[in-house]
Amino acid sequence: MTYLIRGKIALFIKVIFVTLIVSVLLLLAQSAFAQKEYVISAFLAIAVLLLALTYLTKISIPLKFFIPGILLLTAFVLGPILYTVTMSGFNYKTGNIISKEEAIVQIKVRGIESAPSGQTFDIKLGTYEGNPAILASDINTSEYFISTQGDRIPLVASALTFNEYGVAVEAPNFTPLTDSEFATADKLFTGARFTFDDRFFIALEGFEAGVVSQQVLEYLPESDQFKNLVNGGIYTDNGRGNYALTDDKNAILEPGWRAPIWFENYSKIVTDSRVREPLVRVFLWTVVFALLTVLTTFALGLLLALALNKPIRGRRIYRSILVLPYAMPSVMSILIWGGMFNTEFGAINTLLGTNIAWFSDPNFARVAVILVNLWLGFPYFYLISSGSLQAIPSELMEAAAIDGANPRQIFRKITLPLLLQILSPLLIASFAYNFNNFNLIYLLTGGGPRNELDGEIAGATDILISYTYKIAFGSGTQDLGLASAISLIIFILVASISLYSLRKSKVLETFA
Amino acid sequence: MNKWLRQDLWRHVVGISICLFSLFPLYLVVISSFSSTGSLQLSSFIPREISFANYSKLFNDPTIPYLTWVKNSLFIAGSVALLSVMIGTASAFAFSRLKFKGRKFGIQLLLLVQMFPAILAISAVYVIMERVYNFAPGIGLGTQPGLLLVYLGGAMGVNIWLLKGFVDSIPAELDEAAKIDGASEVQTFWLIFVPLASPVLAVVALLSFIGTFNEFILARLFLVDMESRTVAVGLQQFIGGQYSQNWGPFAAGSILASIPIVIIFLSLQKYIVSGLTAGSVKG
Amino acid sequence: MKTKRFGFAGVIAAFALAVSTLVAPSANAATEIVVWADESRGPNLAKVIAAKGDWVSGYTVKVVTFSSFDALKDAFDKATDASGPDIVVGGNDWVPTGAKSGKLAPITLTAAVKARFNQTQFVDLTYKGKLYGVPVDINNVAMIYNTKLVSTAPKTFGEMVSNYKALKASKGLKAGLCIAGGGMSWGAHSVFSALGADAYQFNSRGGIVYGRAFNATTFGKNVRTYLMDGKKSNGFFPATDTGCKDNFLAGTVPYAVIGNWEWADYVAKGFTMNLMPVPGVADGTYGKMFGSVSGAMLTTFASKHGVESGAKSLLTNFFASTDGQVRYQALEKRPPAEKGAQADSTVSAAQRGFGSAASLAGIPQIGAFLNSNKGGANYWDSAPAYWTAVLIDGKDAVKEASKLASIWRANTDGGKGDL
Repeated sequence: MTYLIRGKIALFIKVIFVTLIVSVLLLLAQSAFAQKEYVISAFLAIAVLLLALTYLTKISIPLKFFIPGILLLTAFVLGPILYTVTMSGFNYKTGNIISKEEAIVQIKVRGIESAPSGQTFDIKLGTYEGNPAILASDINTSEYFISTQGDRIPLVASALTFNEYGVAVEAPNFTPLTDSEFATADKLFTGARFTFDDRFFIALEGFEAGVVSQQVLEYLPESDQFKNLVNGGIYTDNGRGNYALTDDKNAILEPGWRAPIWFENYSKIVTDSRVREPLVRVFLWTVVFALLTVLTTFALGLLLALALNKPIRGRRIYRSILVLPYAMPSVMSILIWGGMFNTEFGAINTLLGTNIAWFSDPNFARVAVILVNLWLGFPYFYLISSGSLQAIPSELMEAAAIDGANPRQIFRKITLPLLLQILSPLLIASFAYNFNNFNLIYLLTGGGPRNELDGEIAGATDILISYTYKIAFGSGTQDLGLASAISLIIFILVASISLYSLRKSKVLETFA
Repeated sequence: MNKWLRQDLWRHVVGISICLFSLFPLYLVVISSFSSTGSLQLSSFIPREISFANYSKLFNDPTIPYLTWVKNSLFIAGSVALLSVMIGTASAFAFSRLKFKGRKFGIQLLLLVQMFPAILAISAVYVIMERVYNFAPGIGLGTQPGLLLVYLGGAMGVNIWLLKGFVDSIPAELDEAAKIDGASEVQTFWLIFVPLASPVLAVVALLSFIGTFNEFILARLFLVDMESRTVAVGLQQFIGGQYSQNWGPFAAGSILASIPIVIIFLSLQKYIVSGLTAGSVKG
Repeated sequence: MKTKRFGFAGVIAAFALAVSTLVAPSANAATEIVVWADESRGPNLAKVIAAKGDWVSGYTVKVVTFSSFDALKDAFDKATDASGPDIVVGGNDWVPTGAKSGKLAPITLTAAVKARFNQTQFVDLTYKGKLYGVPVDINNVAMIYNTKLVSTAPKTFGEMVSNYKALKASKGLKAGLCIAGGGMSWGAHSVFSALGADAYQFNSRGGIVYGRAFNATTFGKNVRTYLMDGKKSNGFFPATDTGCKDNFLAGTVPYAVIGNWEWADYVAKGFTMNLMPVPGVADGTYGKMFGSVSGAMLTTFASKHGVESGAKSLLTNFFASTDGQVRYQALEKRPPAEKGAQADSTVSAAQRGFGSAASLAGIPQIGAFLNSNKGGANYWDSAPAYWTAVLIDGKDAVKEASKLASIWRANTDGGKGDL
């Protein structure tokens, strides 16, 4: 097998492999460029350059190990994080999602209103003297005419052919579109204004109906304003992503667009008590939750590891059963636990003979959350600890035993400290993971209980991430800008707690 | 007998009680999978009925390509496990064994990046893949390769600590000896390091396999086509109705889906529990 | 070495070819109308649309089915025109946010199309005077009673409670009336309403009255009388919907509020569709239930994809037509929204039963009020909170009711502007 890794053949395989990947990426870069995705195209081009340089030259050996990971990390983790951080500087929420150009287009569309008469026509699409035209029929008043984008030609019924509903389908000089031409005609006819009279025009609502309409809002590109043609009101850009009436700041046109508001989302966290107060409460519970989870899962996992650290009878069966919580899709098990905690019919209350309202009492709900997370998490620590237990040199313990130490002393003085040293990075990682353990809270309690009747905003078991998720993607108003700002703050918090404990546990010193 | 009692009884007590704790919820899942009412059967511990309707639905209903979902899940989770272990091991090896500028900074950065609440960056990932779909429909939104790429994004950081711990525990003399033989770093990695670390790699691969197998928030956004869904996404349709939930097929499907994981675990058990660290150094 | 190089070039060429098919621009013909729907409606829509292919001449229709209603909502929230649908079939409560954010586009229906629907159904799909979709199916609930436990339809709420108390011991009842479908807010509205707490108030002509909420004292006292036993729940009405369906089917609950989407499960268990509205406190009055509609909504992406007129035609020719709704509801089995389809002979007894229960005591679901947060919590969150506070935590029924009333009053006022 060695020849695959050393020598000429190995080199040849490597060159082929790198060339292949590079050519695929180049092709992708090119088609990205063709589709005007310039950022992605540039990223791919840089990736090509880096890959070629790294693997075909000896420019940097560590890079040979890192480059695939770095590229993927940049594309799918760092990139999105940067995007999120950028969005925290924007007024980016329900009502302000799209870009300004799109917003202007849509306000124009919504600025078209049907005439007060509410008159509509059955229409046929076609051409009249080479121009797009509609053949309009009002079957109630027997009014028929051809309308183009500049003219309206009245017709008499005797010159027309009708279908079974009394809609005119053929007229002199009018060439109807065949069915297969509709799709190509869509862009041409959609949004076109067919003449009705001096004030109103006919706009298409599908291929069969025309509605007598008028433009109420007009865009003034020079001054970047909208004007209401009926009452003369002027709407100007209010700097926060909406056009607002000059006299009444609250009268805005919808939709708005995402507009930069710089640090306002951050200052809101400090100054707006409806944002700040729940956030502080949620933060404290998040820390407690993450700490308790790490403690309980580690303790139970370690206990098991110690118990099964000897080839006792049935060890294989125990192990197989113990890993089941891990093998079961966690979505399923979390939801099952949710059902078990139900007050009236839940298995837990039946088992305990109690009638506890688990998810409507804040403290019981918190206990339930920790308990379920213990169930989900202990197998991991069982695996890790039993692996590490065997990594501890047995000579150490034998020596201690010879010195007359009892098993409990050996555990307290030798095993536990050594284990903690080995496992501290994993314990910290587990803390960080549970700090952001979204699935559990989202699926188990949804963050509740929350006393809505007394105006509570965050639930008793809401952790920072579930609370932020609600702000960003919940029902009702979704404030992605504010949520991004909060997530950046969560990030700084978790990062500093973790870095601090890593420093304390001296793990990073191995990198000095 | 007496000695057995003294030494092993407590082990069995701990083992049995924690096993009961593990099994209790699973027992209820099994009951609901055999019930035809479609809701989580919680009111009694003894099943009221044994019905195979949910299982037969999974295999006989032409609108539910359950086996395809399982295949998809195995494929995606398997590929992610394999590739992420490769990427993760390479970086763990480099962090542990190579000297280069920015090493400490690099690992700190990697650690920090993982602490960003990723779920909030979902919108951005969605937009990126939507755009990729525009020029390369085969690897963009709605495709399994696209989802795979997104999962791999986090591969470098996944379990880096676990891996690094084990890399550190492998004596450096071994690869120094190889170096003296004239092997390059890359060759040392493949010839010395990977074989030594294989038990650890199995553990890490298993962890990442399970994690990917269960992931559904990203997967349900990405895999819309009935035929391309994973088990987690496919089964979710039974309980994600606008007003109604049908737990039976979900429970049955979950039980069946966890079987491959249990099998993989059991077959790797030797590696996982005993071989975690020191095992390979001796051999 | 030379042959090797050729081989090498060949491999690359082959691979490049393979990749180029991968990246070749999709046949992005603007003749395809893309419809997004959830796991239940999607497959049925796809079947029906394909069965009669010419709903809109010259276009093909592609139905994308999501794995769940939530997945559909999530994707629609995030989609841009790069991947988004031209029409989305979703809940009416998507209208205000979708319209505000510029994801949904307004449509104007001709008088003839409008006449095919009950006009209150358009209320749900209207935002600031503009219509954003056509009603597709009606979602509502009705009360069903187990004739093996209670032989006749109850006339008053009190009658149900006394029946429950009389049978509780002998039949081993676990509850009297529970909510099996629609949850403790939407599904439970008929219970709120039967006891005197309507989400919003109507005047005698059917107009909405702003600035007034239900009478908290009356409602609270009714809750005390019928649902409480001192400071504790009397067991008649559980505060959560978990387990309700099971227990009803098992014969341990005589009355249940069920949704029209799940009646087949009850029929399969041998129940006849003895449906009725929840009776009120006084004889002859009934609790009102929401009759909400799901809408087929036009998105703003349709015009970017160049299929706007086609999509609008699909809305009127298929979604809002008698033919389309009859065919679709033959599979989907919800009450159709369109009048012609409601009258069609293929509509089942249960579909009709829900329809008649709704016509006896239905009110439009007005998202602008129910989604409003002006009172500190919206209807969906505050309604279940009331049941928890009173029935589980044992708080004072009248005091909590007045909190609820003030929240709902503020929400109705706050939502006024979005109508």
